Amino acid sequence: MATADSISELSSSSPPPTADLLVLVTAMLPEQFEALLTNLAAVFPMEGLLIASESPLPAHVPEKLRVIAAPPANAGWSLTAPDFMNAYELGQESQARAVLMLGPGAESLGAGGLRLLANAVLAGGVDLAVPRYSLPPHAGMINSAVLYPLTRALFATRARFPLAPDLGLSIRMAQRLATLGQHALPLDQGEPLLWPVAEAAVAGFTIDEFDVGPRSLPQPIGGDINSILARVTGSLFADIEAKAAYWQRARRTPPARRGLHEEPLKDGAADVPRMVEAFKFAYSNLLEIWSLVLPPHSLLGLKRLSAMSVSEFRMPDTLWARIVYDFLVAYRQRTINRGHLLGALIPLYLGWVAGHINLTASGVSAESHIEALAAAFEAEKPYVVARWRWPDRFNA
Amino acid sequence: MMIDFTATMLQQGRIVIPFPSYSENVSIWHQISDALHVSIYRVLSLLIAVLPGILAFFVALAIFAVIGKVISVVLRWLLKAFDFDARMARGGEWTSSSSPTALVARITFWLFVLLGLLIGVSAFDTSYAVGTALSFSLLPYLTHGVGAILILIVGTLIARFLARSVLIGAVNAQLQYARFLSLGVKWLVLVLTAAMALEHLEIGGAIVDLAFSILFGGIVLTLSLAVGLGSRDLVSRSLESQLDRGERGVPPAAPPQPPPAETIRHF
Repeated sequence: MATADSISELSSSSPPPTADLLVLVTAMLPEQFEALLTNLAAVFPMEGLLIASESPLPAHVPEKLRVIAAPPANAGWSLTAPDFMNAYELGQESQARAVLMLGPGAESLGAGGLRLLANAVLAGGVDLAVPRYSLPPHAGMINSAVLYPLTRALFATRARFPLAPDLGLSIRMAQRLATLGQHALPLDQGEPLLWPVAEAAVAGFTIDEFDVGPRSLPQPIGGDINSILARVTGSLFADIEAKAAYWQRARRTPPARRGLHEEPLKDGAADVPRMVEAFKFAYSNLLEIWSLVLPPHSLLGLKRLSAMSVSEFRMPDTLWARIVYDFLVAYRQRTINRGHLLGALIPLYLGWVAGHINLTASGVSAESHIEALAAAFEAEKPYVVARWRWPDRFNA
Repeated sequence: MMIDFTATMLQQGRIVIPFPSYSENVSIWHQISDALHVSIYRVLSLLIAVLPGILAFFVALAIFAVIGKVISVVLRWLLKAFDFDARMARGGEWTSSSSPTALVARITFWLFVLLGLLIGVSAFDTSYAVGTALSFSLLPYLTHGVGAILILIVGTLIARFLARSVLIGAVNAQLQYARFLSLGVKWLVLVLTAAMALEHLEIGGAIVDLAFSILFGGIVLTLSLAVGLGSRDLVSRSLESQLDRGERGVPPAAPPQPPPAETIRHF
């Protein structure tokens, strides 16, 4: 073990040292950073590894590990445009062949997962290495309900976590994302989210997914579900709108290569009655706004749902897929104010979550339900393409 | 002496009573017909006097519409040649459903139509004043009318926007009186808009101010009562707990036990 002093001397040198792999770590607590550094030192050879982070150096770090200071970026729960810009800039300066980006909570990742992500991009065959986490059944619900099925259906990729906080990037992928981030940064008053999976698909880069085991996903601080759902969904919708020329062409999703696996359900009760109540309350108040966005067939489906009891409450996959697609089209068409639109989606999302939990409680595996939902999104893709081209044709 | 002279002249038949006369020889229908003839004559005279103004209005509108169309077509062509749309897209996210070129061309066209409208109204104004021999100007009333219409349109849009914002926010916050709150906000803005439009048109004077104050105050009071009564239990519980703490003189009680850990994680 070396002391922090020796590391800081190393990091203060003006020209950044060269390395094969640059690991960019977002801001985290010293003890978390120390655990992560230990993991990294155990997995990668020291001479080819360079770590950049804005976190303060911990008291003890593995010997010969090279750590440099990264420019300050966001300290949020997800990777944003400044992170990707920093990754490319530092990667270029250190002449790295690949970049491994690790988000908050990355110390919970196993050494095997880190190795898989880094080796995939270092070997040269993969441009974007995406992790597949083993999460409890009811974790990452927005990802399961909207982000994954929508990305899979439109961009023909099976990346289970399109907004993963950890990524392996080839240097050309890092460059592409940095350029995208430069364009996106002045347009967003906050820190814009980027969608690496969709970007790699459009660029024709190779994407691969790796099982990295369990991980504690960072949670947004101070943001309630309303604001975060609106931010994430709005960003994805905007990205899909920008890439409309790509996804409107028919593409076949590659077959699944991995079996379904998930963490067991832990103790604790999900408040399904509250969510069902929220949906029913919204149905009696927001129907006028929903009717501006949704076709009569979907409204009829919602009416049936509003009459269901809590125990039998289930939202059909096809109905949810069409609802998300209709909101996507309305986002593009600006049928109503975009803030209102995304706000009106929240009770529907809660309805889907309630149905999903009821389904898993009845013995259906959560992962198999999410895969079935993604398949429904794929089956309904012609619907969104038709509505995108002819928005007034409701019963396409 | 004057009376004698008149009597003499009448006897000699030299004085003729001017038309219209109310002598018993002329029928009532004749008098109505004459009155109608006079009024038709007056209206036709006025129409003939203002006809050049009306024609000038339409000619000015047509000429400026044509000029606007030509300039917008030329502008559209020039902007396309300079790749204006692509430049705008590079400069930032273009979120409108129309392209920047189409928007610029459309705005130019309508500006010219508006200019033609103003010039036409001005010409009509002049001919009307000449025809009626009155120092009358229609333009200020027209501009006030247009202003009032704009106030109404903008007010209605703002009312709808705020009503939806409040409704969605309140529904997502599970407030039971969400719809009532939304309606209250909508009518507050609509009443304010109507009062502003009437004030702009200078109609009603103090009555509008008074009516607005009563209505606005009434709506605010109704909303306050509704919200206050709706959250009566919450307020009383809060006050009771504060009083208890004050009487006991002890620090606040331990925080309530957290609900059973939820296994749902949205992110």
